[in-house]
Formats: sequence, C-alpha cells, structure tokens
Amino acid sequence: MSALLTSRNVADLLGGVTNGVIYSLVALSLVLVWRSTRILNFAQGAMAMIATYIGFAILAPSTNYWISMAVAIVAGMVLGGATERVIVRALYGKPEINPVVAMVGFLLVLESVAAAIWSTSSRGLPTPFSMVDWQLNHKPVAMSPFALYEIITAVVVMSIIAVLFEYTKLGLQLRAAAIAPEVSRLLGVRVGRMLTLGWMLSSGVGAITAVLVASNYFTGLTPTTMDGVFAFGFIAAAIGGLDSPVGALVSGVAMGVVLQFVGDYLNSNAIILVALGMLVVSLMLRPNGLFSAERQRRV
Amino acid sequence: MGPVQANQRFVATTVLSVLVVLTSWLGVAAPRDAAALSVAAVIVVIGVSLLTASGFRRDHPVATRAVLSLVTVDVLVAASSFWSATVNSNLAIGAAMSIVLLGLSFLTGSSGQISIGNGAFMGVGAFTVAIWANHHTSTPIAVVLLLAVVAGGLVGLLLGLPATRLRGPYLAGMTLAFAVAFGAILNLFGSWTGGDSGLQLPYAVNAPPWVVHFYSSATSSLTVNSVWLADVAIVTTGVALFFMANLFASRTGRAMRLVRDNDVAAELVGISLPRARVVAFVVSAAYAALGGGLWTIINNAVTPSTYGFALSITILSLVVIGGIGTIPGAIIGGVIYAFSANVISWITAHTGLNPQGNVASQLNGIIFGVLLVVTILFAPMGIAGIVRRWFARRSR
Repeated sequence: MSALLTSRNVADLLGGVTNGVIYSLVALSLVLVWRSTRILNFAQGAMAMIATYIGFAILAPSTNYWISMAVAIVAGMVLGGATERVIVRALYGKPEINPVVAMVGFLLVLESVAAAIWSTSSRGLPTPFSMVDWQLNHKPVAMSPFALYEIITAVVVMSIIAVLFEYTKLGLQLRAAAIAPEVSRLLGVRVGRMLTLGWMLSSGVGAITAVLVASNYFTGLTPTTMDGVFAFGFIAAAIGGLDSPVGALVSGVAMGVVLQFVGDYLNSNAIILVALGMLVVSLMLRPNGLFSAERQRRV
Repeated sequence: MGPVQANQRFVATTVLSVLVVLTSWLGVAAPRDAAALSVAAVIVVIGVSLLTASGFRRDHPVATRAVLSLVTVDVLVAASSFWSATVNSNLAIGAAMSIVLLGLSFLTGSSGQISIGNGAFMGVGAFTVAIWANHHTSTPIAVVLLLAVVAGGLVGLLLGLPATRLRGPYLAGMTLAFAVAFGAILNLFGSWTGGDSGLQLPYAVNAPPWVVHFYSSATSSLTVNSVWLADVAIVTTGVALFFMANLFASRTGRAMRLVRDNDVAAELVGISLPRARVVAFVVSAAYAALGGGLWTIINNAVTPSTYGFALSITILSLVVIGGIGTIPGAIIGGVIYAFSANVISWITAHTGLNPQGNVASQLNGIIFGVLLVVTILFAPMGIAGIVRRWFARRSR
C-alpha cells in the first residue's frame, strides 16, 4: 500500500490534481463572467494579480496571511465591479472583437502599472503551510500540507459558488439575469446590478486563485505570474465549455492530471504544447465545449 | 467576370508585380548619386502623372496600386540614403512591423476575427530564417524570407483549422495560448533554436558591392549597411503592401468582408465560410512570419525573449491604434512603432523620471495600454478612421 502511494504514477496523479484545481478556479472565474455578460475576460489573471499585490505588498509584510488574503479578495471584488461598470458596460452590443481588444488593453495597463509600482522582480509571499511533502516509510508522498490547503480552498470556493447559484434567491436572480435579461427586468430583477455582481464574484474567485499561485514558493508574485496560469485556465474553460461551471471544474482537474503525466514522462516544455493540441482538437470536435448545453450556432 | 478576363487580369497582376519588384530593386541604387537620384525622381514624376491622369485610377486599379507602392518605396529608398544609421534602423524595424500589421489588419478587416498570437507567428518566421541560414549559408536571402513566409503559413494553417468553426473570443483565446506557449515550444526544440540564447546569423546581410560603389569611400560601412537594410525592409514592405492591396480589393477580399458583415448572407451566395476564415488566418500568419524574418536579418540574430507574449500585445495595440481592418491603419501602426522608443525616451527626459526606474521602463506599456482601451471604446477605427471621418466632413 505504501509502495503504491509513493509510486511515480500516484505522485503524478496527486501533483496533477493540485495543479488542476488552480486551472479549474481560473476556468470557473472565466465562466462566471462569460455566462452573464458574454465577454471573455482576458484581464482575469492581471486583475487577480493586482488584487494579490494589494493584499500582500501594500500591507506590512508582518500582516497575518489570512488578513492579507481577505484584503486581496475584497480588492479583487471591488476591481471586478469597477471594471464592469466602467469598461465592460460600454462594450455591450458592440462587435465581438471590441471586448477582446479592450480586455487585452486593460491587461497591458494592469501589468505595466504593477511593474511600475512593484517592479518586475519576484516577491515571495508568506506560505501558511509547509511545502515539504509528507513522508511514508521515508519516501515522499506527492502531497504537502500546502498542496492539501490549495485543494481544500478550491473545493470550498467551488461549493460556495455552487450553493449561491443553486440554492439562494440571489443565485436565481443571477442566473435569470444571465439567461433572459429582458424577462428578468420585467419581473423586477435589477439586471445591471446582477451583472456587476457576477463580475465581482468572478474577480473574488480570481483573487483567491492568484493568492494560492503566488503563495507557492516556486512561483512567487510578479506582474506576469498569472499569464501562464491564465492560458491553462482558458484552455480548461474552452474545452469544458465557457458556459458550463461543471465543465470548467472537470476539465481543469483532468487537464492538470494529463499534463502532469506529460511533463513527467515526456518533457516539461511539451506541457503547454500538448495543452494547445488538446484545445485545437477539442474545439474542432465540439466548438462550444464538451459540457456545453448550448446548441452549435448554425450559419 | 468571364474566365478569359480573369485570366488576363491574373497575367497583368503577375507582370506588374514582377515589374514592381524589379524597379524597386533598381530604386535601391539611388543613394547619394546624382544619376541614381534623377532616376528616382523620374520614377516619381511618371508615377504621379499616371496617378493623376484622368480615368487611370478607375480603369486600371491594379496598375494604380502598383504605381502607388512603387512611388512610395522609391521616395523612401531615396530618402534613406540621407538618414542616419539610427533613423534607418528604426525605419527598417518599423517597416517590417508594418508587414505584420498588414496581415493582422487583413484578418480582422476580412473576417472579423482577431489574433493575439501574431508575435509568436513573427517568431516562427524569425527562427525559420535563422535556422535555415545557419544550415544553408549559400541560400539567397530573398529565398530564405520566402521560406519564412511558407513556415508561418503552415503553422497558421495548423492552428487555423479550428478557426473554421470558431467565433470571436474562442479563436482569440487560442492564439493567446499559442503566444504564451511559444517560449516553451522554442525550448522544446532547443537543439535547433539555440535555447534561451537564440541564434546568430552565420553572416551579416551587408550592402552588396554595387551599392557600396555609390558612396564615397569616406562613408562608414555602418552607414552604408544601415541604409541597405532599411532599403531591403522598405522594398519587402512595398511588395507586401502591393499584394495586400490587391487581396483587399479582389473577389476573395470582397467575399471575406461579406463573411465579416453577414455570415449567413455570405453562405447563401455560395461563399465557403470555413475556407474564407482559414485563408484569412493563414495570410495573417504568413505576413507576420515575413516581418519576423526581416527582423532576424536586420538584427543579425534572434532571441526567444523578443517573441514573448508582450510582443503579441504590442502588435494588437499598434493595429488597433492605427486603424484595424484597414491598410493605412497598418502603415500608421508601423510608423508609430518605429519611433515610439524615441518618443518614450523624450517623455522620460522631459518629465524628470529616472530613466532606469520602474516607471520609465513601464511607460511604454502604460501608454499603449491606455491608448488601446481608449481607442476601442471611443474611436474603434483608430487614427485611420478619425482621419477618414475628418476628410469626409470637409468634402461635404
């Protein structure tokens, strides 16, 4: 039993799940805004990065980790709401490339401003849990207290979002505003407010993700920390279907596992190439994603 | 248009493009030599009188574009011989960037799609040139550039295949993933691409003896070579511009604009949507690769860090600020790129910022980012659109 737990394949599986939940969180964050506003938020990673800087670079380094994290989440939500009100609201009903360009521009502004204030050098965040793997019969299991903390946090966040959307009145209003804005407005739902709230939730999830990523000793926090993570998260979201939260979660974890095996057995540089290949193939087979309920648009 | 007529037009286009290439290369002989300058001036006079002749522009659209490209190239080539090495180097880099922007403008202008990965396609061309030149030192540089175009087109085809069924943000996201992945892909083939340090060209692309001959022996070889490189870039840009102008106006181009504006109607009149979308994507990738190939020749080397995600965003910014989907927009974007570094350092010098500080080093990104957001929100057609509107108002 212990030989199995410390074996190479189980190590890949556990490592893959740990990476995968991060991709799932990014994908979930993208799905939340895509469902409500039909905008792919290319600045998602950059907004989360700014929130993390606010929580961990503006406050004194001695500040408690959890207080910093709470500040980052609040900052992320405020930034998300403000973005929806100021930039995104001007983009509704425009040609579909306009939001893409605007969000990429916003990404560039955020990354440059962050580098101007905090420089491009990596900043280590305090790590609340040890990153050293647990031992079993003097062999490491590919799971550390920190990795477990990442997974648990991700599960908690996903559960909160799921409960919010499925079992609360607010969640019903959020879904109604996204699916049928005109009817919802007639029935008294404040649609504009719901869209802002959708962006705030998405950015809150993003901020937690970025804190988890940057708390990892090996990555640290730089203005471009989230670029690569965003790319994997987008791939997961696109494979799962941009309008399917379940798809985002499943494909994020599945991708994390597959890529961990690729990195271990093939080459770590092949990881993103394989991810790109998976994206190309899956989009050719199912352009709207594997888990999407949406019918293929006929042209 | 009957088949015979179409055939004639094809022959005419081919003959004229060959003429453009030949006379452009002759124009390269212009530097600082009285006889050469008079040849350049005669070309301009003939060109301008043709363009202003009544009915010429209406009856001979292809020839008009050829003459327009030729005159522009001719003027720039003649002027380059009087400019400093710095200005010429900026000009060369900017001209190559214009080619990249032409490709991206075509993609958006013809199919309504956008790519955030054209920096990586540039990298494909840049590394193709460097790898090929290192293995086959005797291949003429024009052929190596063509190989870069082919390589870019092939990679574009591979990535563009899903584009047949994708809309808007999905394709943009996929190209973004490609841009982010490009560094790792280069590393994966490190034995060819030279890993982190990149590749040097085994030889410098210097001015050939017949060009050096035009200069007094007192002129430094640095100056002569910088003029030569600028001229190579300008001539290549002229040819790329000529083909792009014809493509925009051709039946294919018009079909693609219909795809952009109303894809259902396009399908009804028998246009193959998947083909139109893939062709647009492949053309944009090939143009980007040509620009990247030129950069390798101009810099005499290629480093992977040049072709990171940041370059792809810069390309997008330039094409949007210049005027997306239009040919003038691509040229304006190239000019902005050529001189943006000078403008930034001027601002740094005049605002008292520490030139080595964080703010000064990020000024470029902040300015481009803000301009990008402001442009797409308030003037989505960019500078070209503003100018066009201004002229339209004046002529009314």
